Amino acid sequence: MKKKVAVTLLIAMFAAGAGMGCGQVKERVNAEGESVITVWSPSDEPAIEEWWEEKTAEFNEAHKGSIHLQREAIVRADSYAYEDKVNAAITSNDLPDILYVDGPNVSVYAANGITLPLDDFFPQEEWDDFLGSSKDQNTYDGKMYAVSATESSVALYYNKDMLTEAGIRIPGSKEEAWTWSEYYEAAEKLTKEGVVGTNIIMDKGEGLPYVLEQFWISNGTDFVSGDGSKADGYINSPEGVEAAEFLNSLIQGGYANIDPIQKEFHNERAATMLGGSWEVATLEKDYPDLNWGVTYFPVADNGGILTSPTGDWAASVTKDVQDMDAVKEVMNFLFSKENVTTYAQAISKPPTRVSSYDVLTEYDEYPRSIFKEQLMETGHPRPRTPSYSVLSAGFSEAMLNIFTGVDAKTALDEAAAAMDKDYKKYYSEE
Amino acid sequence: MQKAINKKSERKAAYLFIIPAVALLAAFLIYPALQTIRYAFTDYNIMRPDRIKFSGINNFIELFQDKNFWIAVKNTLYFTVLVVPFQTALALALALLVSARRRGVSIFRAAYFSPQVTSMVVVAILWTVLYNSSPDSGLLNALLVKLGMEPCGFLNDPKTAMNSIVFMSAWQGAGYQMMIFLAGLQGIPKEQYEAASIDGAGKVKSFFYVTLPGLKNVIQYVIMITVIQAMKLFTQPYVMTKGGPQNSTRTLVYYVYEQGFQKRNFGYACAVAAVFFVIVISLSLGMKKIIKAD
Amino acid sequence: MTQKQREKFGSLAFYLGNTLVAFIFVSPLIWMVSSSLKPESGIFKGLNSLSTFIPKGASLNNYLEVFQRIDMWKFIGNSLFYVLVIIILDLFVNSICGYALAKFEFKGKDALLTLVISLMVFPAEAIMLPMYREMADLGWINTWASLIVPFVAKCFSIYMFRQFFMDVPNDLLEAASIDGCGPVKTFFSVVFPISGTVYATIFILDFVAHWNDFMWPLLVVTGEEKRTVQLAIQTFFGSKPINYGPIMASLTISAIPMLIMFLFLQKYYVEGIASTGIKG
Repeated sequence: MKKKVAVTLLIAMFAAGAGMGCGQVKERVNAEGESVITVWSPSDEPAIEEWWEEKTAEFNEAHKGSIHLQREAIVRADSYAYEDKVNAAITSNDLPDILYVDGPNVSVYAANGITLPLDDFFPQEEWDDFLGSSKDQNTYDGKMYAVSATESSVALYYNKDMLTEAGIRIPGSKEEAWTWSEYYEAAEKLTKEGVVGTNIIMDKGEGLPYVLEQFWISNGTDFVSGDGSKADGYINSPEGVEAAEFLNSLIQGGYANIDPIQKEFHNERAATMLGGSWEVATLEKDYPDLNWGVTYFPVADNGGILTSPTGDWAASVTKDVQDMDAVKEVMNFLFSKENVTTYAQAISKPPTRVSSYDVLTEYDEYPRSIFKEQLMETGHPRPRTPSYSVLSAGFSEAMLNIFTGVDAKTALDEAAAAMDKDYKKYYSEE
Repeated sequence: MQKAINKKSERKAAYLFIIPAVALLAAFLIYPALQTIRYAFTDYNIMRPDRIKFSGINNFIELFQDKNFWIAVKNTLYFTVLVVPFQTALALALALLVSARRRGVSIFRAAYFSPQVTSMVVVAILWTVLYNSSPDSGLLNALLVKLGMEPCGFLNDPKTAMNSIVFMSAWQGAGYQMMIFLAGLQGIPKEQYEAASIDGAGKVKSFFYVTLPGLKNVIQYVIMITVIQAMKLFTQPYVMTKGGPQNSTRTLVYYVYEQGFQKRNFGYACAVAAVFFVIVISLSLGMKKIIKAD
Repeated sequence: MTQKQREKFGSLAFYLGNTLVAFIFVSPLIWMVSSSLKPESGIFKGLNSLSTFIPKGASLNNYLEVFQRIDMWKFIGNSLFYVLVIIILDLFVNSICGYALAKFEFKGKDALLTLVISLMVFPAEAIMLPMYREMADLGWINTWASLIVPFVAKCFSIYMFRQFFMDVPNDLLEAASIDGCGPVKTFFSVVFPISGTVYATIFILDFVAHWNDFMWPLLVVTGEEKRTVQLAIQTFFGSKPINYGPIMASLTISAIPMLIMFLFLQKYYVEGIASTGIKG
């Protein structure tokens, strides 16, 4: 008898759960009758937190009685925590009006209808002021789905003393960038007791596709097809397999560590590293005694394509928006010439607006000039595909498998198959 | 007559005592768990909660053909079989080490418990460093080389990665079980030890004839929760290996997270969770039977 | 060897052995504290030697940075508040349930025990999303309720209470019953006072588990009002480059309440059931 009651109760709950739809939509207006616009972005260093405080105050002062801007700092942690939070909010229509997303995710959210196109948010002459690499990243299916204020790039950092001692050539222009063979030889020469020649693993997560995709591009292929629908025949193409095998030869030769310790280059345990533009500030501040330099990203042998990673967080507008005009106003404020410049300055990253470089003259000087040059001329964002998460995880896994002994073609085939399966399951019929 | 009244008031008290817990469990564990099972029969992609379609047993068909799923099953069982006896024995040994009433004993207890209070971030960084495959960077490999042995790949070798996690997990988790054993040891009356000692039993004998039987319920509990916690292994592969290298540390719960959140295949992840649920329930019910028969 | 010598030797072995084993267990903690005192450039230097445990050029700069950047006291207060409320409710709700399972006869008892054991196994990762939706439907997002209520009833606790209450001798309960105590009163006035050890144990285990909670608070709490310590620490993992100095400092600060709580609750471990001499 009791059992029956229990079972009936459980079934009732099951049914109730099935019927329970999404939560009710909340009105986004405050007591003063102002339209409240909420922004979610990752919590950041003090300079950026201050920037937000100052700018929201400024905006709210100017729009008293009509719009109230409210920014919420979401902790990002070291991996996917921020995305998990967004995923949860998606399930219950709890998204903020403006959502910051990491570069390669722009297309993921766009393809799923989570974010909206922004082409008419700015006049054409404003759009023209943004860097091509950044606009590429933020475009999906021919429309702009996000705007970024800053960019990033990766170049080859080197320990000047070690290179000089080994008598290794330092490229003077991007046309003279090291070829893969030169890179390999240098790494080999620079490896000695307690020091490896180079560091190619930024971290074992998103750092792998972010940095290493360039080896595919430089060798004349890429991770996926231009429309982002297919990985088979790209990531695992003969050129791709060659790129993976080249990277693996650095690991197997003992010229790069498969698990580099933190700050390996900074502590003179690696002679070179493929490092992000943000390392400049750290090296200047915390390692004043290190004699270092930066040069261009290596290119494939025999006329490989000059290329370098790009990409950074971007602001997008979500489907849960209520007051589109107010959001437009906010976006125009946040990405004005002046605010992009001050933001980039606060976070010490390269800005996305070409005109900002007139103000931030430090990018005309070495070493920052290297990154500016790469961004303006050789930058390639990560693949734009709605199946990016699966691609990225699959690629990282494939590389680590290759580094521990799996055949490159087999590992990359698997990554390609996983991505293509996901695309077919969720996106191909549309 | 008296007994009948007792029985009745006992029953009333029983329902009074269980209702709060049962109500809360129903609302916040059973209900979401049932939802999970419901989603297992859909194509729920986390990005499109408004486009969930019923997909029948498709997820389960896919799952049984999924090589990675079976590897995860195998890894999970492998880890459990290794870590449970190791960690339980270690925890009991530690508890015996610090069960005595001596000056400063609480400092040692705190020490053994401390891996529990140390953040997983620190533990992971430090053990990744300890396990580093290069003798130039890793403390353990530096030691091996000094002793004239070959350096070991530890977390970077598919053959040793899971064993490295077993060792580290036992080290980290033993303090937790030690506390439970300590509480259990307090429940064994001193008179029993005294009696055994009068009968001429040494330390070893009194361990087998007094301590172990006295801890019966506690040992049952500890083994049961260690098995369950081991089956749920997630954090270590998540922060240390991401399931690799070559699938060697991909566990079932890690697979649930990876598919459901990272790859957004939530319906499929729920199917994995449902199968996981069935495996572990039958395992724990089996254990309960064995315990009862005992 | 005389008796005295043997005792001395025994105690020497006790302290020496324990100190050695203890070092292996505490080393990450020492490393964390030591790193929190080092300048950023010193943290990952010399990791392959024992000197990494000694803070060279020690300073409190990292701690100063933590307190400058975030309102650490407030976040510690938030965490203490919600964790303690969970624990107090947990101890009450689960101990009475565990007691009923251990000592009362009632219909459905076996089924309930089976349910408790089966529910222990459901991985939090699998029910997190449905639970989030439930919180949203209840309108509990960004409230204390979402941090507390779902975690009060806990199968681990129920089961552990049950295992321990099984050992409470029936003679004792019968004696109370003859004295005219009803079953409810017997629990509160006879059983509860002699069960300090198990309550303290669950207190400690619960505290550690919830103090380190990260994923759930991240999902349900937005903004600083109810931010927990662990969420606050993750602030330092913001954008690259990651500086580990302040991270180590904030982790050290967050470990202190746990250690205090642990040492404080320790005393219940020497005043368990044994000392009341009711058993055997």
